Amino acid sequence: MILLYIGAGLMIIGALCDLLAGIGMLKFRNFYLRLHAATIGTVGGAVVPLIGVALAALDMPGLPGRFAIAGASFITALIILLVAPAGSTALAYAAHRSGVEGNFYFDHLRGEER
Amino acid sequence: MKRLIFGIILTLTPFVVAYLYPLSVPSSIHSLGEFYLKNSLTSVRSPEVVTSILWDYRGLDTVFETAVFFLAIMGGLAIFRELKLEYSSWEEFPLPVKVVTKVTAVLIVTVAASLALHGQLTPGGGFQGGSTLAVAPLLVIGAVSLASLKRTGITLERAVLIRILGLTGIVILALIPLALGGYAVQNQPYFPSEFLGTLLGGSLLWYNIFEFLAVGAGFTAVFLILAVAGGGRDD
Repeated sequence: MILLYIGAGLMIIGALCDLLAGIGMLKFRNFYLRLHAATIGTVGGAVVPLIGVALAALDMPGLPGRFAIAGASFITALIILLVAPAGSTALAYAAHRSGVEGNFYFDHLRGEER
Repeated sequence: MKRLIFGIILTLTPFVVAYLYPLSVPSSIHSLGEFYLKNSLTSVRSPEVVTSILWDYRGLDTVFETAVFFLAIMGGLAIFRELKLEYSSWEEFPLPVKVVTKVTAVLIVTVAASLALHGQLTPGGGFQGGSTLAVAPLLVIGAVSLASLKRTGITLERAVLIRILGLTGIVILALIPLALGGYAVQNQPYFPSEFLGTLLGGSLLWYNIFEFLAVGAGFTAVFLILAVAGGGRDD
């Protein structure tokens, strides 16, 4: 029973992260800050609730195929956790290369101070 | 305000439509559909009805469709035959992106193989597995480089060769029953239906494997050509 509550809690945290990410996407000023919000949406809003789903499924004896659901959720969470940072790194790198401006204090890729 | 009203209308429309026209369960199944559903497991020895229709009941259609797809890709390659394929290397993404791309490519190949090899038991099959397989080289081209793809041994010549082998395999499989006294693309008495308690679906497994190779290699060849024809990445 305790796993079910932990899972539900993680799902609620995920929903809150998604909400915050949505607000961030609308309110942040430039591309790099919005990328930050998008990553909150993928890691906080997809990985965390997926782990919650896995825990909750493990704690429901009546659910048919609960081990398959839990396993698939864990694997999916792991893959998103692996891929999302790489995706945002690639996006940020590509945006920087094509000259998208941000308000940096120090630009490591160009190596100059603003 | 206008946008808000539009948004509310757009959100409510599906609910209103669903309320006015509720989905109902059809009272009868089409007789042909009923035949497939009832006989797939006993006559084709495969619980996956879609795959049994594709490679057994309507097998000849699929063989021709594969041939058409083969000719389409060969035609595309013929148009670009003057193009000199250089496996160039370009300025690469930061290290984490490259490492994750390589790990993901291995995962994609695994998933593709499982889609194709389980095609007679679960949704999926040769075409789906092959299309998934071709995503792996595409990712490597985009995130690392063509040179790195060549270092793993994937070249245009090999892709075309595997494609030809795949189609040859399908044609041979289709002709085996004819040689044994049956009719072309026949499945059941001529192919093993079970191995160690796992249903193989007779010829479905082998068709799926060859289609997997043919489609995966075909899309890989097209992606290689397009990556070069588009000028690569302009650094």
